[in-house]
Amino acid sequence: MKKLAAILAVTMTLTTVAACGDDSGEQSSDTISVMAPLFGTAPDPNGELQQAVQKLLGKKLQITWVPNADYNEKTNVTLASNNMPQVMVIQGDKQAAFVQAAQAGAFWDLTGKLDKYPNLKPADPTTGKNATVNGKVYGIYRVRPLLRSAITIRKDWLAKLGLPMPKTVDDLQAIAKAFTERDPDGNGKKDTYGLIVPKWPGNYASSSPYDVIETWFGAPNGWGERGGKLVPGFDTEEFITANKWLKNWVDQGWVNPDFATLDSANWNKPFVQGRGGIIIDVNVRSADLVKLFKEQDPKSFDKVALAGNLARSDGQKFSAPFPGYNGIVAIPRQKVKTEEQLDQILQVLDKLQTKEGTVLLTNGIEGRNFKLEDQYAVPLDEDNPQIKTINNDVEKAFIQLGTRASIGLSAYPPKPADEPSRQLLVQRAELATEDLKTAVHNPALGVVSDYYIRQGKTLDLIIPDARIKYLSGDITEEQLRAEIKRWYAEGGTKIAEETNELVAKLGK
Amino acid sequence: MTPAAETPPAVRPKSYRLLKHGWLYVMLLPGVAYFLIFRYWPMYGLSIAFQDYLPFLGYQDSPWVGLKHFEELFAGPDFGRLMFNTGLLALLTVLFVFPAPIVVALMLNEMRRQVVRRSIQSIIYIPHFLSWTIVASVTYLLFSADFGVIAGWINDIVGGPRADYVAQEEWFRPVVVLQLLWKQTGWGTIIYLAALAGVDTQLYEAARVDGAGRWRQFWHITLPGIRPAIVVMAILTTGHLLDSGFEQIWLMTTSLNRSVADVFDTYVYYIGITQGSYSYSTAVGLFKGVVGVLLIYGSNLLSKRLGERGLF
Repeated sequence: MKKLAAILAVTMTLTTVAACGDDSGEQSSDTISVMAPLFGTAPDPNGELQQAVQKLLGKKLQITWVPNADYNEKTNVTLASNNMPQVMVIQGDKQAAFVQAAQAGAFWDLTGKLDKYPNLKPADPTTGKNATVNGKVYGIYRVRPLLRSAITIRKDWLAKLGLPMPKTVDDLQAIAKAFTERDPDGNGKKDTYGLIVPKWPGNYASSSPYDVIETWFGAPNGWGERGGKLVPGFDTEEFITANKWLKNWVDQGWVNPDFATLDSANWNKPFVQGRGGIIIDVNVRSADLVKLFKEQDPKSFDKVALAGNLARSDGQKFSAPFPGYNGIVAIPRQKVKTEEQLDQILQVLDKLQTKEGTVLLTNGIEGRNFKLEDQYAVPLDEDNPQIKTINNDVEKAFIQLGTRASIGLSAYPPKPADEPSRQLLVQRAELATEDLKTAVHNPALGVVSDYYIRQGKTLDLIIPDARIKYLSGDITEEQLRAEIKRWYAEGGTKIAEETNELVAKLGK
Repeated sequence: MTPAAETPPAVRPKSYRLLKHGWLYVMLLPGVAYFLIFRYWPMYGLSIAFQDYLPFLGYQDSPWVGLKHFEELFAGPDFGRLMFNTGLLALLTVLFVFPAPIVVALMLNEMRRQVVRRSIQSIIYIPHFLSWTIVASVTYLLFSADFGVIAGWINDIVGGPRADYVAQEEWFRPVVVLQLLWKQTGWGTIIYLAALAGVDTQLYEAARVDGAGRWRQFWHITLPGIRPAIVVMAILTTGHLLDSGFEQIWLMTTSLNRSVADVFDTYVYYIGITQGSYSYSTAVGLFKGVVGVLLIYGSNLLSKRLGERGLF
């Protein structure tokens, strides 16, 4: 009896102690660990697509897929752990946590190292520069189209009310007003509104509908020159004018009443369900919406129209570009210790970004889930569950690993499934080319102020919160201006100074 | 034979006790090990509150900065607001959420029909098992300004412009307290019902013989009977006063109500995990922990002064 008790006690103690040991065993060199964001179901490591990618690379991949909504949090937690992957997608590549870690040496400084790898060196020098942190390259940027902002409008509502496509902000205002007041769905009830805006999770100048509208009115995109100095976009009269204009929309009921709380995952719902008729967002949203309408009614789904950036009332046009990339792929030094190991990893990544690799990441397996038809990818056998899995693995997961080809820029552009989709695709390209001519670029994209990294943590929310409060009528214009002053008082002055210095030093 | 056998009993007790109950002490080891390893050892990590901690450099090599983060917190623009929001929520909890289970338990206790009583009991436990995520989603569904059903009803009755119950500042605290009441009241009754079951029924009989009415019985027997339970619960609650239910508040925070919704817990999460400012948020968390310990000792002392037994 006593013996039994002793054995029991000792085993329990041992297991308790053993449970907190860590297994920091070295990974074998033919496996590469990766962390990347996920937008749907995580792919099966033994699935067809991952097997195909592994075959191309000649390495096994051990990928941690993290749901996109939690990605930043998970990144910060991983940074503090002793279990960092060898390859890590970083979405907040200008955020304090990453920049601080990178500057302390947690990630490989790749400045000047990428030229050896034909598929990793920046394809576009401007974007390459935008993706640096004060001149240092901490990762390989994940390419995105440079101009993605657009307006998606209910085509059938426009037709019913006899309204033209908008060219200026006044046109759009007339549309929003008519969508609210003239019963566009013809049910005899006043139960619709114009613009749909969700609760925006990002900071100021994060390509939100608000940021896009402010750009139309002439406000700088992020940072801009005023009186020979760079100022943040919200410290301009154009910013106030734009928000005054939009506040009138809110007051008139032309915007969804829950614009401060609507979950961005449900952004499409009011549009498809016929409650609202305008969305200002990335142009690919139009394609999603056509798909949703088609699911609802395969016979009549041509209900989506696409408009580009708008001109001001005085005819001047300013378009809102995107940074041209979305996050970077970085190499933590915890597991990749030597230059040789780094070279191995970069060689593998280089292979992944070859034409062959990008086809796998952005289109899938040729002859299996798509076939090639004059350089267009035509989906194959879409209802087959196995093919569905491949499509899911591509669209919701592996495409996130693409740095040379990616969302909106697939290796082969997908062939549109129907005539409305084809038209939208053509329009998308035309509008993007046209709007790029009037794009307002952010001269401070590649710059992060040191003060912001150390002390800026509480500043980020001031402006977006004040903007929403002003729009909803919680605070007055004077109070909005006071909040902008508060941003300066609580450290913004220093950030503005340093940003000016850095931009001057690094050249625009 | 051995010298030990000759030792007189007077010098033996301590080692003797240890020997006699030796196996009990051995069996205590896992528990002690658990607390040392999982509760005390991690506290070593609190040292980063006094460093400019960088994960890559680790505990050893991160520079020490003394009380810099605490100074930043107390002098910073957020401290007053956080303290006020956390304190006010705590006060509302004490005023409304803490007494609710007591009242409900007493009401249940007065019910005659066992069947009805038991079924009510079981039904009011259910909300406790729903996660805050579900509670928050349901709240949004019912009270959203665009499609909320209940918000619509209220609007039909009251008229005027539609209030946005889930977003506006002035509605944040009422909504949070109502959610707490809905979710936790039923579950909270368990402990009081148990205490009520422990009250000696002979006391009631004696009181009835002496001509005490229902109200007298309640005031002089029932209430004193559960007083120890109430005191213990009160002390435990004070320890958690600053834990304002992170999940619930995080889920109910929007850009519009952040100025009243920000409490220490959500602030620590935002600064530490979202922004990656590990040291500063640890300092904030440590401050909160110290206040919590002070509160629990304070209330324990107070309850002893007032003639109750206290918790320790």
